[in-house]
Amino acid sequence: MPRTATTQRLEQLIAQREQSRGLLIAFEGPDGSGKTTQRKLLTRWLESRDHQVVSTRWGSSALVKPLLKVRKKLRTLSTEEYSLLHAVDFRHRVETSILPALWAGKTVLADRYLFTALARDAARGLDLDWLLNAYSPLLWPDLVLYFSMTPEDSRRRIASTRSPHFYEAGQDVTGIEDPLASYSRFIDRVVKEYDNLSVVFQFVTVDAGEAVYRQHTRVRELVERTEKRPWPTFSEDALKEWLITSNIPAG
Amino acid sequence: MAHHVEYPGRLIAIEGSRGRDAATAAAAVIKALKDAGVDSAISRFDASGLFGDLAAAARGDRHISIRTLTLVYAADLAFRLRWEVRPVLAAGGVVIAAPYVETAVAFGVSCGLSEDWIRQLLRFAPKPDIRARVEERKLARGWKPHLDRGYAEYCAAILENAAPKLASKRARRDVMALLDRPRGRKVYRLSGKGVNELVKSVTRSLQGATRRSASTPRTARR
Repeated sequence: MPRTATTQRLEQLIAQREQSRGLLIAFEGPDGSGKTTQRKLLTRWLESRDHQVVSTRWGSSALVKPLLKVRKKLRTLSTEEYSLLHAVDFRHRVETSILPALWAGKTVLADRYLFTALARDAARGLDLDWLLNAYSPLLWPDLVLYFSMTPEDSRRRIASTRSPHFYEAGQDVTGIEDPLASYSRFIDRVVKEYDNLSVVFQFVTVDAGEAVYRQHTRVRELVERTEKRPWPTFSEDALKEWLITSNIPAG
Repeated sequence: MAHHVEYPGRLIAIEGSRGRDAATAAAAVIKALKDAGVDSAISRFDASGLFGDLAAAARGDRHISIRTLTLVYAADLAFRLRWEVRPVLAAGGVVIAAPYVETAVAFGVSCGLSEDWIRQLLRFAPKPDIRARVEERKLARGWKPHLDRGYAEYCAAILENAAPKLASKRARRDVMALLDRPRGRKVYRLSGKGVNELVKSVTRSLQGATRRSASTPRTARR
């Protein structure tokens, strides 16, 4: 973007908001790793300390959820379509839910963030650079909590509660009819991708095998220690674009 | 990511700023190809129904951005390629994509998106064998908001509040200028003469390949 008076004004706005803006915390990890439990516990704890908390879940935007749900049920999505529809969902949530909440000083807890798409879609064979481009401009979380577990543990936990859905089990790419057998193969690839991403994007690992309370204690400590990733350095493009299109008042 | 494959068929991309003009031009090309004994299929905007479903889900939602819509365009294009374009190309047929990649690029860039971002996003789409540009009509007008006419008209309807400038003729002129940028390869202008030239080019390139007898233009959609 060329440096015009408008972009300078936007840069000023973003820098000024840095102090009062909320924290963005992403919960990542394989299915069954306890992300949602920990997100709920953290929500309660933060609210008890008078923080305003907004939670956002993967694939949950009112705009995309209905059409995604139908197409998933019909199993008609190709790898690219599946990936792109999640990118639509993510972008819409960033613009209408995550950024407005952060701007207003609320803490946002994202139950899965774009790293879910990177891990799952890369496991489906899509190029990581294409995926990163689809999710650009990136809004970096201040903290990524990675609930780490082995593929075997993930499979065991899922098998004990339910049968995985068609896309969750990766049946669209493995071609295996049995959902659990497909899941076993697919989650192996997903965990490998997660492990790679955890290095590149500096995830903070939480051992998902530990007791729930121990994990929660660690999550609290990590959140208390978290420093903001400065918006002007990490997320300026995403912020500028949002400010231009959302008519946010200067104050 | 789907890897690029050489197909025996021919892909014709028809680009233009108005949906109706693109549809008219595509119909003219199909007819001319049929007259020349070449059967062809067509792939249109929103074959997947995603834009239609999105419009239904978006009732009252005034916070949809051009980036979101470009991602939907990419998803729709992925659907069109899978069901309408690649099967025909693989079978050695001729398929007309109206609109294709350049329309989305020009429209997105005119709304402030980076050209590189859009091209990277749509890089799964095979390069067309033949590029064509519609003869634009109603040049002095912007886009009227319509959910079922074409991509630009759809965006004008969905982004009505966020981007009122889409109704202006200047916005449309910008898109047309972007579509007319020289891109190194011949682009057929789809006036009467241009259609004939395009058909000649297709028939020449198909020489040696088995020609199907002309029949009613078919859709490749399953």
